Amino acid sequence: MSAGPVLKLTEAETTLVAQLGARGAAAEAERLLGAGLPTRRVEAYHYTDLRQLLRSVPVLAEAGPATQGPLSIPGAVALSITNARVGPIPTLAQGLHGQKGQGGVLAQRDDVLVRLNSALAGEHLALEVKGAVTVPVVIDRRIEGAASHAAGAVKLFVADHASLTLIEVFSGSDAAHVGNHATAITLGKGANLTHITLNVMGPTATHFATNEYHLGAAAHLRTLVVQAGGALSRTQLFPTYEGEGATAAITGLNLVGDGQHVDLTMDALHAVPHTASKPLFKTIARGRSRAVVQGRLVVARNAQKTDAKLMAQGLMLSDEAEILTKPELEIYADDVVCGHGSTCGRLDEDHLFYLMSRGISKSVAETMLVRGFLAELIDPITDETVAALLHTLIDSWLER
Amino acid sequence: MNKYAIPTLKEEIEDATVDAVLSLDVDKYKYGFESHFETDKAPKGLSEDTVRFISAKKGEPEWMLAWRLDAYRRWLTLTEPTWAKVHYPPIDYQDMYYYAAPKSAQKPKSLDEVDPALLEMYEKLGVPLKERELLAGVEQPRVAVDAVIDSVSVATTFRAELNKQGIIFCSIAEAIREYPELVRQYLGTVVPVSDNFYATLNSAVFTDGSFCYIPKGVRCPMELSTYFRINEAKTGQFERTLLIADEGSYVSYLEGCTAPSRAENQLHAAVVELVALKDAEIKYSTVQNWFPGDKDGKGGVYNFVTKRGDCRGENSKISWTQVETGSAITWKYPSCILRGDNSRGEFYSIAISNGYQQVDSGTKMIHLGKNTSSRIISKGIAAGFSDNTYRGQVSAHARATNARNFTQCDSLLIGDKCGAHTVPYIESRNASAVFEHEATTSKISDDQMFYCQQRGLSEEEAVALIVNGFVRDVLQHLPMEFMVETQKLISISLEGSVG
Amino acid sequence: MTTTPMLEIRNLHARIEDREILKGVNLIVPKGEVHAIMGRNGSGKSTLSYVLAGREDYEVTEGEVLLDGVNILEMEPAERAVAGLFLAFQYPIEIPGVATMTFLKAALNAQRKGRGEAEISTPDFMRAVKTAGEKLNVDSDMLKRALNVGFSGGEKKRAEILQMALLAPKMCVLDETDSGLDIDALKVVSEGVNALRGPDRAMLVITHYQRLLDHIVPDVVHVFSDGRVVESGPKELALELEAKGYAGFDGEKAA
Repeated sequence: MSAGPVLKLTEAETTLVAQLGARGAAAEAERLLGAGLPTRRVEAYHYTDLRQLLRSVPVLAEAGPATQGPLSIPGAVALSITNARVGPIPTLAQGLHGQKGQGGVLAQRDDVLVRLNSALAGEHLALEVKGAVTVPVVIDRRIEGAASHAAGAVKLFVADHASLTLIEVFSGSDAAHVGNHATAITLGKGANLTHITLNVMGPTATHFATNEYHLGAAAHLRTLVVQAGGALSRTQLFPTYEGEGATAAITGLNLVGDGQHVDLTMDALHAVPHTASKPLFKTIARGRSRAVVQGRLVVARNAQKTDAKLMAQGLMLSDEAEILTKPELEIYADDVVCGHGSTCGRLDEDHLFYLMSRGISKSVAETMLVRGFLAELIDPITDETVAALLHTLIDSWLER
Repeated sequence: MNKYAIPTLKEEIEDATVDAVLSLDVDKYKYGFESHFETDKAPKGLSEDTVRFISAKKGEPEWMLAWRLDAYRRWLTLTEPTWAKVHYPPIDYQDMYYYAAPKSAQKPKSLDEVDPALLEMYEKLGVPLKERELLAGVEQPRVAVDAVIDSVSVATTFRAELNKQGIIFCSIAEAIREYPELVRQYLGTVVPVSDNFYATLNSAVFTDGSFCYIPKGVRCPMELSTYFRINEAKTGQFERTLLIADEGSYVSYLEGCTAPSRAENQLHAAVVELVALKDAEIKYSTVQNWFPGDKDGKGGVYNFVTKRGDCRGENSKISWTQVETGSAITWKYPSCILRGDNSRGEFYSIAISNGYQQVDSGTKMIHLGKNTSSRIISKGIAAGFSDNTYRGQVSAHARATNARNFTQCDSLLIGDKCGAHTVPYIESRNASAVFEHEATTSKISDDQMFYCQQRGLSEEEAVALIVNGFVRDVLQHLPMEFMVETQKLISISLEGSVG
Repeated sequence: MTTTPMLEIRNLHARIEDREILKGVNLIVPKGEVHAIMGRNGSGKSTLSYVLAGREDYEVTEGEVLLDGVNILEMEPAERAVAGLFLAFQYPIEIPGVATMTFLKAALNAQRKGRGEAEISTPDFMRAVKTAGEKLNVDSDMLKRALNVGFSGGEKKRAEILQMALLAPKMCVLDETDSGLDIDALKVVSEGVNALRGPDRAMLVITHYQRLLDHIVPDVVHVFSDGRVVESGPKELALELEAKGYAGFDGEKAA
């Protein structure tokens, strides 16, 4: 029955098959040859049809000298991965340990970006945190030079009761790069991590990132994914709540402008009882653009007392923008409080009128409301230097 | 492997056999009797010959046969959809009958000529088929009924009275013969021939169903109703319903479904098309109570149905209300295409799954016109070993200025062996569109149970009471005569779900 | 006797979509006076307040509104506010994410800028807010929260009066300020309003019940019915209304 016609590979698929072959990943090459890149028929890619969207893939990135990214935080520990190669590791602050490791970092998963990264990532940066580290760590993840395909990886282990703020900045030279990045993070008992990723790739780049999180008992995670760059971007968040009492505030912000397709996808698994999460995803879309937000909460059979509520909010600033939202609940335990909400629309006319009735001009009122819309995401970031960086990034986008 | 694996259906079944405590009494299916009367069947299996056989049996014109054959050829190129959250062994489309008609019911001139065994069956079902009784009962609401058994419409009541107002209400087979221009104008315009695998199959082999036309400005004076019944073993049922509400008209339509208890699965792949022209309103209510399978998950109806309404004219309105308690598998998304400016679509749903039932149901609201609005209220209740998925799409086209949607879908889990899922697709392509969606999943709280029990209710009574409260927002959209029945049905469906 | 009135409404007609709601309103509020408008629900009182403030949904089809002699109907809502018109909303709008303090400062500076005045310094602003807040029981905690979000009914109304005190408008329109208030909150709010009465300011108090007028005593009472003023009189008119009900004032329309 299933012996259908042989798939005619796209240009991107042909390149990827060849690159996998060159890296000795024959099984992955074979799989891609048979299945191709996911289309809208694959639920996880329903609104991001990679077969259509990923037209071509440049050559695999060559090693190059480490360079500075566009955003910096004074006083932060600065690390880098350039063209998928781990940069020099300086002497690190107390409680931080870093080294270069071989191969990829993500757990096996039936997802094409995960498979490709795991097959193509030659090395990774492995970080370990013990105790409370108060200075933020910034990893500059750059793709330099002519258009190239880079599959970099970072592994972070936050030991029991340790804490850290990690910021990853994705940037590159102005070329049609394809970055497919991985970050795998494990939080020990009572560990506390703030993880911020900023996508400020150039306007022709493709940016894929997969963040995998394993949360131990009573661990707390806060994430903020900001996607502002790239022609085609997709960040995937895969948190697994593995220890009782684990909690997370998974947040994300898509700043989508003309010509961009930006996808933020979360697939969360509450695996044990008594865990809580509050994913919150916001999108501002303007110009002719498309934003995708998918968020699935899976609650396993024994994960009683799960408390999970996802919220997706879209703000449309143009008639040519599209916001496509697919929140999902998949619940197998009965004693839970789970839900999701989604809203999508323009700035509220009542809000605008109220502000204007107090003498505030329309354009100022609009900016105030947009900032108000984003406040929920930025306000919880307590580190002032990090918050300042975020404000700068958002303001420059708004003024663009 | 994956250490957090979500149990598969098979694992659940093994669990089930071990877990003797939870002996579900789904066998109590009260409509599970079988009626005995002679039938006339097509040869088993599906081929062009089957399609020709059906068309010939129906005495159809050439264009209809051509339409069916086109559908059949397209069907051969399609594959079954797999995106729904339902699991079942492959269906052998050659191992079933596509046409079965009660022999004596070929052409009843009046109800007196209808096989008494049939009338008896309908009486058991509580279907008011006898006009006399209805006319005699002063207080009883009057309902015109088209009864479809297996593949054939056996009797349509109140025709003369409806005719006086120009309302056409008859079997689709008859409509094809008597009103070919109306049928040709509208058939397949809401659900195109090759819309999806099951709809295409239906287009090729549909055997009967109801046809209804409400003329301009007419408010249909009574509820119209179709009762579907699968009786024959190994028989697929493929009805086709076409309902047209002309400008400024109104109609309320009810649909009920039952089938006997059988160990094998029966396929039901119906298509319902609604067309609402300018200022017209259609209210379509369904109580679906096909056989859900026995307590071990054997048998039951595969209910793979395509229902769609087209708000074609300005200010038109289509409202779907469904109560889904039956079927082993439900795959059903009654939808609205909001084409006319200011048109409105509504979807009110109660879906209850128990035993090993699998439900994947919801709606699509496609906003195309300006100032279109839609409202979705879905209440899913999962008990036993069942899986209950709400799947819904709300989309605003770029031209759909000021489109509005409000969606509320709530799931209730009873017991810890079932699953409740919510999969909405929310697609906004217009900045002035405002979409709001909310979903919750919860269980009946211990406090609620305790309170009810403290007031003297048994556990099952308390559950039924609380569930009835949970679905109240939807219940109130049902016609009166369905409301009471539905409340009873909810209690029956949930029997054995606690303890 | 030739002083320009603070507010003069001449034959004002307005509609929303196809429905005419204001059907020829005539009203004069001289400087220094407080006038009340009373009327039953649906008589168009709130519409009048929205039309005065310039809400887009309403279309003015006829008439004039003069604020201190200047026609404001062509102005944007923000321009009207700068010109000195203040509307205390019946249902103050909740705006998540915008801190009350941030909002107050933005509004105050926008108005100063509009009048060609310099921006207020932060210490002066803080002092002004603190002083105004104390009188109205508005503490600093409330000011840090997002605008009106999670405020109780009383808190919302107090915040409205606080804004009024801070922005020092010429013409205050108070729309059903008493709705949702218990007697203690009503007293606080009324005292706040009374403190703002003065020779250069006028007020229009829109209310459904007489009880608010026990606290904010008007100079003139107007009865509003079916989109226009049908009767005007001294403050005793309010008591008469309370006793007789609105039926006697509905004119020909009375059933």
